Amino acid sequence: MSVVSTTDLTRRFGPITALDRLTVDLPATGVIGLVGPNGSGKSTLIRILLGLIRPTSGSASVLGSAISSPSHYSSRVGVLVESPAFIPGLSARSNLVSLARLRHLPLARVDAVLAQVGLVGRDREPVKRFSLGMKQRLGIAAALLPDPELLILDEPTNGLDPAGIVEIRELLRDLGRNGRTVFVSSHQLSEIEAVCDYLVVIRFGKLVFSGPMAEMMKRTREHIDIAAEHAGDMDRLEATLVAGGWAVSAVDDVLRVAASADRAAELNRAAAGAGVTLSRLVFAQDNLEEIFLAMTGRVDGELANGRAAVDEKVA
Amino acid sequence: MIAAARSELTRLRQPRLLATWFGLMTLFAVMINTVMITFSTGGGSLPAGAPGVAFPTLAELESPSGLMSGLAAASSMFGVVTLSIWAVVTAGDYGSGLIRLLVAAEPRRWRLLAGKVVALVILTAAATTVAAIVNVLAALPLAGAAGISTTAWGTDLVEVVAGAWVNLFLALCVWGVLGLVIATLARSAAVAIAIGVGYVLVVESIIKMLKDVPSDWLLGTILNAVAAGGTAAVAYSTALALGLGYVTLGLVIAGFVYIRRDVTD
Repeated sequence: MSVVSTTDLTRRFGPITALDRLTVDLPATGVIGLVGPNGSGKSTLIRILLGLIRPTSGSASVLGSAISSPSHYSSRVGVLVESPAFIPGLSARSNLVSLARLRHLPLARVDAVLAQVGLVGRDREPVKRFSLGMKQRLGIAAALLPDPELLILDEPTNGLDPAGIVEIRELLRDLGRNGRTVFVSSHQLSEIEAVCDYLVVIRFGKLVFSGPMAEMMKRTREHIDIAAEHAGDMDRLEATLVAGGWAVSAVDDVLRVAASADRAAELNRAAAGAGVTLSRLVFAQDNLEEIFLAMTGRVDGELANGRAAVDEKVA
Repeated sequence: MIAAARSELTRLRQPRLLATWFGLMTLFAVMINTVMITFSTGGGSLPAGAPGVAFPTLAELESPSGLMSGLAAASSMFGVVTLSIWAVVTAGDYGSGLIRLLVAAEPRRWRLLAGKVVALVILTAAATTVAAIVNVLAALPLAGAAGISTTAWGTDLVEVVAGAWVNLFLALCVWGVLGLVIATLARSAAVAIAIGVGYVLVVESIIKMLKDVPSDWLLGTILNAVAAGGTAAVAYSTALALGLGYVTLGLVIAGFVYIRRDVTD
């Protein structure tokens, strides 16, 4: 069964199309990452799924229920949308108690989630005294309150220090392993790469990729970075390699040769044949960030959308 | 709706919010009794036409209902405080982003709004009780010190106190709903307070100055009449009916906007 399914889901804000006929099916499997440049429609998608905003057209379902009736699934979904929002003058516990009451949950759940996110002992302090990282933990605790089948987290590691990021990463992994589905949007691609089993990439509101993380990582490109011992030999080295049929590009102070690791010796011989001694020969693979940028381009979605809006007005 | 009201009551249990609300009710109850009694015994002309204030005569002060006349006299001040608190609480959900969490947890938004209204009405009852108690505690020694006869104040005491409490409570609920409606529309406490207070205390005062325009339908006039249990200009039953009409209209507008509007930022 799909935890989330959308068909031609579209949402426009005036002249801006935030989601453009998005069709995607997300399996009930571990941790699902949602990535895309700023303004790509990630938050819009999450808000539509939660019933915060309505789509302009198209349809969607969450845990098998149509989004037109979010009350059919809200008790099975935990959420953290953007920055955690709480009453600053109230204690962490009181904030969670108010949400537990709203959801008809026993107050024992409050103790359970406080322990789960490591806030026991600080729970009676006013939230205004909390660091951003502690607020983020409290936000995750609030999302876990209903013991949800589906957890939707928008940027859960925002504002966390490195140790906090690692902790949240472990928490998401555990949650994904324990039968829940965690749908997490993040700009931290290294986090997504480390945690997610499944990936959805959107750009300008359109689906770019949806599939297992392993399938995404098959798109990785391998290359060997080389540098000549003497800087003056770099041009000659590049010309020799290009003449030999190698795909070469200059990146900073090295030449990046598209080749797998098993061709390193061959590459070294080609350089030696041209009378160039290599001072550096390093094999590397694209990480998710590089694959992501190759797929989505380097244009900021918000800027692009803004430009489109201006263009439309001018026209 | 009960769950939403209990949830809202938990969030409203903020020490600073309650201290501000109840503190201002206490302050205005003491202040109005002091000023009212000083004016009545000083023989000065009472500023009956001043916006938001309607002082009783000395004879009215010495009547059985004189004990609680401070509540009606200061009803506009109490009203402004109540409007502001309801507006701050309502707009605060938008300002903090809490509305996203609430709607995701309870997508039937009418329940959220109804729960908020119920919770605020309960706290408004508590604030009215604070004002009534402080009014009694302040009026007795102030009247004694000023030489005002209080012998009639014991007559029908329970009826007088309960009547004044109910009248002020009803008026404050209308003030509060006004704050909630404007805050829902504006999503800003400051804007809601400025519009609400500005309209009732300033715009309506200007309208009243226009001799050809009937003013007995104006919200401020109605609220003063409800708080006073009826006035010469507006009968109590008329004031209650109009007040109920304003509340119903306001809640329908707020409900429509609250339920239909996108929850974005």
